[in-house]
Amino acid sequence: MTTNGHRKNATVWIQRFNPDFDRRPYLQPYSITARQGMTLLDALHEIKTHQDGSVTFRRSCRHAICGSCGMNVNGRNVLVCESPLKDHLDGKGRVTIRPLPFLPIIKDLVVDRAKFWEHYRQIKPWLLPPDDLPEREFRVSPEEVKALCNAEKCIMCGLCYSACQVVALNKGYIGPHALLKAFLRTLDPRDSAPGERLDIVADLTGVWRCHTIFNCIDACPKSLDPTYAIETLRNLAARRLAFEEERRERQARFGEPVEVGPPVRMEPTARVESPVQTGQRIT
Amino acid sequence: MTETITHDIIIVGAGLAGSWAAMATSRAGVQDIGVVSKLHPLRSHSGAAQGGIAAALNNVRPVAGTGPRGPLEQIPPGEEPVDSWELHMFDTIKGSDWLGDQDSIEIMVKEAPSIIFEYEHMGCVFSRTPDGRIAQRRFGGHSAPRANYAADYTGHVLLHTIHEQCLKQGVTFYSEWYCLELLVEDNVCRGIVALDILSGEVHTMRAKAVMFGTGGYGRAFAITSNAYANTGDGVAIAYQAGVPLMDMEFVQFHPTGIYGHGILMSEACRGEGGYLINRDGERFMEKYAPDKMELAPRDLVSRSEQTEIDEGRGIGDDGKGIYLDMRHLGREKIMERLPQVRDIALHFSGVDIIDEPAPIQPTAHYSMGGIPTDADGQALANAEGDPVVGFYAAGEAACVSVHGANRLGTNSLLEASVFGRRTGCAIAAFVKDGGELQPISGDPAERNRQRIGALMEREGTENVEAIAQELKATMTDQCGIYRTEWKLVAALETIRSLQERFEAAPIMDKSSRFNTDVLAALETQHLLSFSEVIAAGALARTESRGAHFRTDYPRRDDQNWIKHTLAHQSDAGPVLSYRDVVIDWEKYPPQERKY
Repeated sequence: MTTNGHRKNATVWIQRFNPDFDRRPYLQPYSITARQGMTLLDALHEIKTHQDGSVTFRRSCRHAICGSCGMNVNGRNVLVCESPLKDHLDGKGRVTIRPLPFLPIIKDLVVDRAKFWEHYRQIKPWLLPPDDLPEREFRVSPEEVKALCNAEKCIMCGLCYSACQVVALNKGYIGPHALLKAFLRTLDPRDSAPGERLDIVADLTGVWRCHTIFNCIDACPKSLDPTYAIETLRNLAARRLAFEEERRERQARFGEPVEVGPPVRMEPTARVESPVQTGQRIT
Repeated sequence: MTETITHDIIIVGAGLAGSWAAMATSRAGVQDIGVVSKLHPLRSHSGAAQGGIAAALNNVRPVAGTGPRGPLEQIPPGEEPVDSWELHMFDTIKGSDWLGDQDSIEIMVKEAPSIIFEYEHMGCVFSRTPDGRIAQRRFGGHSAPRANYAADYTGHVLLHTIHEQCLKQGVTFYSEWYCLELLVEDNVCRGIVALDILSGEVHTMRAKAVMFGTGGYGRAFAITSNAYANTGDGVAIAYQAGVPLMDMEFVQFHPTGIYGHGILMSEACRGEGGYLINRDGERFMEKYAPDKMELAPRDLVSRSEQTEIDEGRGIGDDGKGIYLDMRHLGREKIMERLPQVRDIALHFSGVDIIDEPAPIQPTAHYSMGGIPTDADGQALANAEGDPVVGFYAAGEAACVSVHGANRLGTNSLLEASVFGRRTGCAIAAFVKDGGELQPISGDPAERNRQRIGALMEREGTENVEAIAQELKATMTDQCGIYRTEWKLVAALETIRSLQERFEAAPIMDKSSRFNTDVLAALETQHLLSFSEVIAAGALARTESRGAHFRTDYPRRDDQNWIKHTLAHQSDAGPVLSYRDVVIDWEKYPPQERKY
C-alpha cells in the first residue's frame, strides 16, 4: 500500500457471477486509487466505468434512502452508498464485496428479491382506515406516532432480511422487513383491521418463527428494531380480542382533538440568537 | 420475436406522479394498467424529498410578536386562520418569477389540502402538533408555515404510502424495465418499446394511453442532489418522438448540497432556523434578502452563495463551499426534526451538525422544464396547444407549468401528487370515452433490438463515462447558476462535439442479462440530447428570470419574455418557438420580486 497525501491504492475484490456463463461465483480483484471521501459505491463506479463495464450492481439515490445498494462487505451487510471505502480496507488495503447472502444471484452483486417483495405484500402493507373518513386529518397524538418506533422509516433495503439466520434456513419465514411493516400498520391507531393482519403474521411463517438472534437490529442502516416489533406483535396476537376492542374505542374518539388544552408551544419561545456574530470568523 | 404486451394504460415511472396516476385510474374503474419503471417503484427519487409538502392547512402559526423567524404554535380551535390558498398561490406565482401558468397554480393550491388529507387517510405517518394535527414548518419563499412534514423523510413516507395503495389496487408493475421509445405517429400515441433489464429482451407495449412520470434531469450537472437514475430519460425519449420540451433552460440549484457530493441537506435546515455563513463568518444573506434572509427562494439564495464564492469568501479546499450552521438549534430539535440530515452530514462530511457547521454548496436539484401539458396531464404538441393524442405526463418530467422559472420548496411533492392524480382521472376518462388501441407501423421492438445490438458492437477509443463527465462539467461551468452568451455558445459547441464523440464510445459489457453498461450508454445519450435544449433555450432567452440568470442580461424583461420556450427536435438541433404564459393581469400582474 502506498500513501500519497489523501490518496492510496486499494484492491477491491468483487464477487462475480453471470449464471449464463459461469458455473459458480468467483472473486475478481480490481486496483483503484482511493481518493479522500470516496464511498464504496464510488469505488464500484470507478471500476465499472473505467475498468470493467460488466461489473453489475444496483444503486440510485447515493444517500441511503432508496434502499437499492445493499451488499455484503467484508462479511457485513451494508448500504455501499453511505459507507466510506477507507473504513472497510484492511491493513493491506483490501476490501471484499459480495451480494447480499441467502438470496438468489441475478448477476454479480444484483440479487433476486422476488421472495422478499412477496413477503412484504403478504402482510398487506397498506392501511385499512375506518369507513367514516374525517373531513380533515385523523387526530393522532405525537405519542401515538412515537409508539410506531420510526418503523415508517424502513427503506426496504433487505439488509435485515439477508442477515437473518431464520430466513437463511426457512424460506417460508416472511422476514423482519415484512413484520416491521406489519407492526407499523397494526400499531397505527388509524388502522381498522389489526386483527386481520395479526392473523396473517401470528403463525409459524411469521412472528413465532423469529428466534430473536438480533441480526436484523445489527444490520439495519436506519437503527430500527424489527425484533422489538416482532415481540410486540406476539404480545398483541396473544390478546388479540382485547386489542381489537381498544382499537374500536380509540377510533370512536377520532372526531375529537387529542388532549385539548391551552395552546402548547412547539418550540422554545426564547428569541433565536446567532451563535456567530456578524463579521466573526468561524474557527 | 418477443411477445407484444398490451394494456389499456401504460405508465412509465413509479414515483409519486406515476403511482398517483395508476391509483387514480384504477379507482376510476380502468383496471388494466401496466406501470413500467427502470427501478423498483420504492427506489424512485420522490422518496428522497425531505422537508415537506405544501398545503395551507392552518394547523400552526407564528407566535405573536416573535417576528418572521420566531417559534410556531398550533392554532387554538376557533381562532383566525393565518394561511389560505390565495396566499399559497401568490407565493408560488412570485416564486415562479411570473413564468408559472396561473390557472394551473390555482388548481394546485386549491387541491393541496385534499391531497394531504388523502395521504393521511391512506396511512402516511406525518409528524404531529401536540393536539394531533399534521405538523407544519416554514419553507423558503412561503409567507406562512405550510410545509406539512414527516420529520425530514417526507417524500419517503409519501412514496411508500402511495405504492402500498397501488398494490392494494392490484396494479401491474414492470419493475426494472427500461423504456426505450415512445411510439407516436401522426400525433397519436400508440405505446412504448421497453427493455426487460433482467432478461435483455425488448418488447413492444401497446396501450390506448401512455403517461410519463419519469422525473427530472439533474444528472446533466456535475454537482447534483439527484439520484443516479435521474437522467431525464422520459424527457429525452418524448423529444426524440417529436414531442416538444418546454422551459428546459430553467434548472433549479438548491442552496444546500453537501460540499463535494451535492447530496441534499433539506431546506428544512433553514426552515427550522439554520444560518448560511461565509468564510468571514458573516450571515451574508442579509446583503441579498434582508427580509427573508436564509428563507428567500432557492434561486436567490443559490446565486447569493455563488457570488460569495466567486468573490473569494467561500470555504473548503477549492473555496467553493459555504457553511450551513445549525448548532444553535440544539441537539433535541435536530434529533427530532432533522435526523436524516444529521446522518447525511455525518456520513459524507464527517461533520456532526449538532457541534459543527456543515460545509455545503449549490447543487443542481430540480428541473422546472419538461414535457408541456395542460392541467390534466395532456401533453401538448406545439405552441398552439394542440394535444398529442393519448400521451400524458406529470411530475418533474412534465411542465404544466406551476413552477415557472423557479420552484418553491415543498411544491414539487405537491405538484407530482396533484397532477398525478388529475392525470390518472383524465386518462381513465379518455379510455372510457372510447380511446382505442392504435395500429403501429413496422416492428418497433425489432428496430430497438437492432439499435441496441449496434450500440453493443460498436468500437472506438472514447469512454461513455468520460463523455458524461465532460458534459456535466460543461453544463455546470457554462450553463449553471450564472450564464452569459459566450459561455452558452461554447457549451452548445461542446455538447455537439460530445454527441459525435459518443458514437465512438464502446460498450464493455456484451452480455444480455442485467446489462447496466448498456443502460448507462442510453442514459448518457439522453443527457446529451436534452442538454442541447437547455443550452439553446438559455442562449435564446436574453433576460434573467428565476433560476435562469444571464450576467449579460441581468434584468427581467417582461416586455419580451413573459413566455414559455418550446423546443422541437430537428436534425439541425432544437427548433424554438414560444407560448404565452397564463396570467391574470388584474389579480396577479408581474411585480418586482424582492424578499
